[in-house]
Amino acid sequence: MAKERREIEINSRADTLPLMGPDVRPWPVTPPPSPEECMKVYEKRKAGEFGKFLEDNLRLDYVFEKPEALQGLRVLCNGIWHISRMFATSLLAEQGAEAIHIEPPTGDPLRQLTPFGREEYMLKDNVTGEPCGLDFLHEFRNAYSITLNLETPEGREIYKKLAMLVDVIIESWPPGYMDSLGIGYRQLSKLNPKLVYCWVGERGQWGPMKDEVSKFGQWMLDPFSACANSWVHNTGFPPDQCPRGGKGGDPMRSGAWLPSYVCGEQAAASILAALYWRDFNGGGEGQFIEVTAAESLMDILDFDITWYGFNASIKARTGAWDPNLNQYEWNPCKDGYMMIGGQTDRLWYRIGMCIERDLPLFGRLIHEDPLLKEMAARNALQALIKTYTVTTKWLRDINRIEAEQKLMEYEIAAGPVLYIDEVAEFPHFKYRPWVNTKETQFYGTVMYSESCGAFQHRTPARVKDLGRPLGYDNGEVYKKYLGYGPMKLRELKAKGVI
Amino acid sequence: MCDIIWCKKDLGDGKVCDTVNYLDPYCFWNWEGKVACAHCGTVYYIHMIQGHMYAGPDEKPGEKPDIYPLYADQPNNGYFNYLPGIEGRTRPYTCLPRHIYLGKADMVKFSIRGRPVRGWRPQPPSAGIAGSQGFFWDIEKLSPEVWEEYQERIRKGEVKDW
Amino acid sequence: MDWEKEIQKLKVCDFEELPGPKSKEELEEMKMPFEDYCKRVFDPGNEFVKPEALKGIRWMSTTMYIFTPHSVANLAELGAECIKIEMPRMGDPMRHTSPFNEAYLYPLHDTRPMTGTGLGFTNANVNEYFITLDYHVPEAKPIFYNLVKMSDGLTECYRHGTFDRWKQGYRHVMEINPRFIYVWGGGFGYGPKIFGGSYDILGQAHAGLASITGCHEDMGGHATKATNWVIDWYSGTQITVAILAALYWRGKTGLGTMIEFSQVQAATRMMGYAAPLYGRFGIVRQRWGNWDTQLCVHGIIMTGKVDFPDAQNPQDRFESRYVMVSAFQDADFQELCNVIKKPDLYSRYKTHKERVGAPAQIEIYKAIEDWAADKTRSEVVRILREAGILAAPVMNDREVYECEHYRLRGTVRWNDDPLFGDILIHSGYSTGLMSKTPRRHRWQWRPVGADNVKIYHELLGYPMSKIQELYDKNII
Ligand SMILES: [Zn+2]
Repeated sequence: MAKERREIEINSRADTLPLMGPDVRPWPVTPPPSPEECMKVYEKRKAGEFGKFLEDNLRLDYVFEKPEALQGLRVLCNGIWHISRMFATSLLAEQGAEAIHIEPPTGDPLRQLTPFGREEYMLKDNVTGEPCGLDFLHEFRNAYSITLNLETPEGREIYKKLAMLVDVIIESWPPGYMDSLGIGYRQLSKLNPKLVYCWVGERGQWGPMKDEVSKFGQWMLDPFSACANSWVHNTGFPPDQCPRGGKGGDPMRSGAWLPSYVCGEQAAASILAALYWRDFNGGGEGQFIEVTAAESLMDILDFDITWYGFNASIKARTGAWDPNLNQYEWNPCKDGYMMIGGQTDRLWYRIGMCIERDLPLFGRLIHEDPLLKEMAARNALQALIKTYTVTTKWLRDINRIEAEQKLMEYEIAAGPVLYIDEVAEFPHFKYRPWVNTKETQFYGTVMYSESCGAFQHRTPARVKDLGRPLGYDNGEVYKKYLGYGPMKLRELKAKGVI
Repeated sequence: MCDIIWCKKDLGDGKVCDTVNYLDPYCFWNWEGKVACAHCGTVYYIHMIQGHMYAGPDEKPGEKPDIYPLYADQPNNGYFNYLPGIEGRTRPYTCLPRHIYLGKADMVKFSIRGRPVRGWRPQPPSAGIAGSQGFFWDIEKLSPEVWEEYQERIRKGEVKDW
Repeated sequence: MDWEKEIQKLKVCDFEELPGPKSKEELEEMKMPFEDYCKRVFDPGNEFVKPEALKGIRWMSTTMYIFTPHSVANLAELGAECIKIEMPRMGDPMRHTSPFNEAYLYPLHDTRPMTGTGLGFTNANVNEYFITLDYHVPEAKPIFYNLVKMSDGLTECYRHGTFDRWKQGYRHVMEINPRFIYVWGGGFGYGPKIFGGSYDILGQAHAGLASITGCHEDMGGHATKATNWVIDWYSGTQITVAILAALYWRGKTGLGTMIEFSQVQAATRMMGYAAPLYGRFGIVRQRWGNWDTQLCVHGIIMTGKVDFPDAQNPQDRFESRYVMVSAFQDADFQELCNVIKKPDLYSRYKTHKERVGAPAQIEIYKAIEDWAADKTRSEVVRILREAGILAAPVMNDREVYECEHYRLRGTVRWNDDPLFGDILIHSGYSTGLMSKTPRRHRWQWRPVGADNVKIYHELLGYPMSKIQELYDKNII
């Protein structure tokens, strides 16, 4: 809550920027629920003792009092552009691995990305004053930043030495590029047979549709992956619900770099499995791993390609409705969109009872319809149209929060479509919290999405710091790993090696 | 009236249309134009804002509709209905995975490359104690007619690798 | 100072000075083209001759739907022995979902000859053994404990506190087996909404992901659901990451742990700059359709003509008209403007900062679509690629199936399923190629209780008569 009244004048967007920020308007705006209030929730289901056990053992407040699962493992992340490599590295670094990002001396171009080119949304570090884009900052977790020019022979020699000292390399240069420089898996594995080496990219480092670089040197980035595996084709509203041509009725990419995140997490999973095999299951040696966003996302396309093999069905987009379940969708309401789910008879009639209380017509048109009485039959297209039209007739008069409260009374899985400001203030989310703030070393207080592995009894994942000025750790890393002192580094810098 | 149009048009001879036209939320949430009743064809002008009927429905005799509902039915007439995609009554729902729509289990005996797949029912009982099953589909014994058909397909060269 | 020499001196290991290849084969391997090398080390199709990363790990899956099952399927693909426990006769509710109610495989269980398992169940429980157990009855308790003693961990998805109430939660199993890794996966976890149910779609909505996917409402668009239960799957894999980290730590310390994982949180995690932008500047990230908020040109455009106007399948006939175009760097953008005969666009938006602004993007994409208005998808892709610009068609399921790339890499392939026959698979192998311990796909799923004898008799040693008795009593 604002403690004092402020005189402000807003004439442009620029005038609004100083009105936010952690110093002016601390998060959360209203305090989260108290543990006592939560205890009452647990008690209601006679789970007080269990709830207390969870709170005592899993709370985020205790993560820094516990050991780290991957302590002692070293990870090199080498590449530019792809956020997948950064997410894979983050997942390992959040679990305690020592992570080093290698960037060319010019820096990862991701550092320069900012929405609509607005530099005022970038954060300047307190060492060099260089602005850094927020995607890069947010995904650069618990890691060191060093620079190294792999296009110089000295740079490659240094890289080889580093490769001998680490457990994992995550790499995302174009197909075969590292190999052509003599520093790919083929060569490094001879120097360090225990090395787990993982390449990540969009479609592959080999094969007829491998990742491409344009004639002018531009890389292929997300969402090329999602276009190549039918995800985009299958996502979005059909043109009879919204018109085609940019008006909502086209196949749709994800607003997030979703394929990259899927790729990054599968890379982390494969790397950890390889490490487990190497260290605890008799393997003793490292291996070569390749994870692509196109394929790792294809892995989780439900049954889609399998369905084609079954009876030549080609999945289509069905908007915010799911063609396999009823109810299972979101529809517009008074102040946004409301998601409702429940397909079994028990849940279906409970949803209906909830709506019917305000809208008796729902009972007349939906519950009484003999064609909607059987669970599988309710998934028919016409059943979805009918059910959701009448459901929305109810929703248009109420807000998301009202709808949620009403449906919760009937123990229905329901939730509003929230925007990020609402996510940050949703009581449950800020209680844990999932969107959190951190006083970072270089960029002031930063709001970020908390590590999903943080709620663990013995070795929770954790976020220690976000972002790093380019090459900030050259001194420490090169001394610690290779023994290079400041004079040596000066010379390497002068020669354009670091 | 709102996001359904329950058409009560007098059709003469004491008959009333009595058809519910479902104006699906994503198409009609903010929409202005003329929509036709799927049963009697009466054209209604509507102007919907945020799901509410800001204006209409007003009958527009003699005018052409801009759009049809996706689905309509008659709750007072045994739930007689018009499925999506009936020309001149409902508009097509363009999310079909094939040119045909079954809406019920497709009895499939062969995959698209012509090899047997257990996509049909009923299957003969095959479990041992407590529902246990081995790791071998003995198709020759359990479904000899499908096995025969498979041999025939092989002979005809209809079984492919892809 | 001669720096080359200095560096040579400092080298702890010079590759050239290392002993050379030890065999002709090794020499060949070092010399062969990179693509051949990749094909050789990954060797798709021959996964079964290689070891399994997680051999010897046994995992219990008391899960339903997609999210928590997927956390276990990942382990099963990596070689762990996984046991899926379902309710007798019924099975996982996900078995009863099928797209458009059309695609089922049989049998589900001999007692229900007319019921199959829907394709909704696909990929979430591969390679696992399927047993049944009704936890509600007291006789089930010792059986459950025996399984815990024999296993390394468990993933469950029941309403929080349910297993604890049934005395089979973490607090109980850690007493029986201190090495046990216990995973609870759900929507929310401890806190005020602890008992809130969750689905994939709830995660997409609640976590903010839907608010940034789809066309902006000013353009007539709505918050758009990602196809598939993508947040279920994606969150499941993050559980796998957490499990593997916990296994690694257990390898050193011998101690198990409890992981509480929320899929709603996982959906927020992928929203990139949304949280830091809001936190610092109060700006709420919005939808931006098929374009990119940070790169231009980098988006999906619609062409005027389809590639397959005469195809029978409507997805081919009406939808084969979208192209991903990327030309955000200056030279690429300049060439793109030349190709679409709008060189003035380049002169007005010479820098990336200028062309990534919202009004510029609206103008630029319109110009590209105007140019593509009389062309088919494949024409647009061909013209752009010939000009050296990155472009690719938006592919559908058929095209993915027919794509040579995935066939060669083994990531789409047919499997001769032991019980269900010829099944096309696009999972498992596609999650990532591993040269020494590749994932593998054995079977898609098994009928309800198919491995009751295998697990209860062959693993736990119960006499056959006892198994029959438990079955007759509907306990298994
Ligand atoms: Zn009428």
